[in-house]
Amino acid sequence: MKYSYLASRKKSPVTSELQLILIFFSVTILVLLFTYLFLLYKDYRFMQDVVSITKQRAELRTNIEDMKDKISFVEKEIALSERIYTDNTVLKDSISNLFDLVPQRITLSEALLRKDGLTLYGITPNKDVYNFMLQAPLRSIFYKTYSSFYPAENGWLHFVSTNYIKSDDINED
Amino acid sequence: MKIKITRPNLYLIIMSTFLLIFVLLFSFLLLIPKGKNYRMQKIEFKKEMKQLRQLEDLNSEKVATLKDLRVKNRRVIDAFDAKFSVDRFDTLNSKYFDSLTISKVKTPTRDDEFDIYEVNTSSQISSPKSFYNFLDSINKGEWIIAVNLPVHFKRESELIKSSFTMKVYCSTRDSNGSKVSLVSK
Repeated sequence: MKYSYLASRKKSPVTSELQLILIFFSVTILVLLFTYLFLLYKDYRFMQDVVSITKQRAELRTNIEDMKDKISFVEKEIALSERIYTDNTVLKDSISNLFDLVPQRITLSEALLRKDGLTLYGITPNKDVYNFMLQAPLRSIFYKTYSSFYPAENGWLHFVSTNYIKSDDINED
Repeated sequence: MKIKITRPNLYLIIMSTFLLIFVLLFSFLLLIPKGKNYRMQKIEFKKEMKQLRQLEDLNSEKVATLKDLRVKNRRVIDAFDAKFSVDRFDTLNSKYFDSLTISKVKTPTRDDEFDIYEVNTSSQISSPKSFYNFLDSINKGEWIIAVNLPVHFKRESELIKSSFTMKVYCSTRDSNGSKVSLVSK
């Protein structure tokens, strides 16, 4: 038996208010969860990146040390070569100066260039020529100069001139 | 006055309160500390990146310096790397002497990063100028050679006999800078 002309409204436990609240909280919780997951992911990525950066930095440091070592070695080579080239040039100039020093009237038969001095063997017409033309310039260059003479067959004099430089001026290798 | 709350509304209030507490707890216990941590890590990461970039710049600078040094001093580096050959030396320098005899005095000695060969040289020259030319040429030659004192010149008829020792310097490293074992010739 019907008491109303209207069809009865079905009752549901999910009311419109409940729906509204559920949607609101679902969205909120989802947003919070996604944010949290994003932060977890970023945390993981940071860890990975930091490990990778630490590794790269260690490699770079090793590389830089290696480069410094190589640069220092090349600089050492350059410095050594320059010193050797200079020494060779100085030696050349010394020999050249030595031969220029000997006057025309004196003939050298032997020359020995040492670290600590110079020994010359030769022949001179007389002592005066030797003393004025060779010994005088040698005295001005060397710290100590010793000369000895002995007669040659042609009436000239053989001489041996031994000259020393100051021990402070000797450059050791 | 009595507040009348219907049963569905009561459930609604309880559920809302529960969810609100959950959201607040989740936010304050997990999300906000994680967010702070994220911000700090980001700052730390930027610092690390800055340091990495500085190291990269320094590395590039060193590579450029080394490259520049190697380009500018190619001849010197090659000369140190070249292995000394008596025959080759004879071929290159015999033009300065009327006769040239060279012999290695002893096996190389190692001085820090260089092997030093001692070479005994005796030669005959027609004039000291040849010797000067020889000294000029070794400064431009294939090896790094130092002429040692004593140098002995002795007149023998029209020629001058000269005898001296030379030190030939060879690098104990290869061109990449790593050390190689000493090879005695």
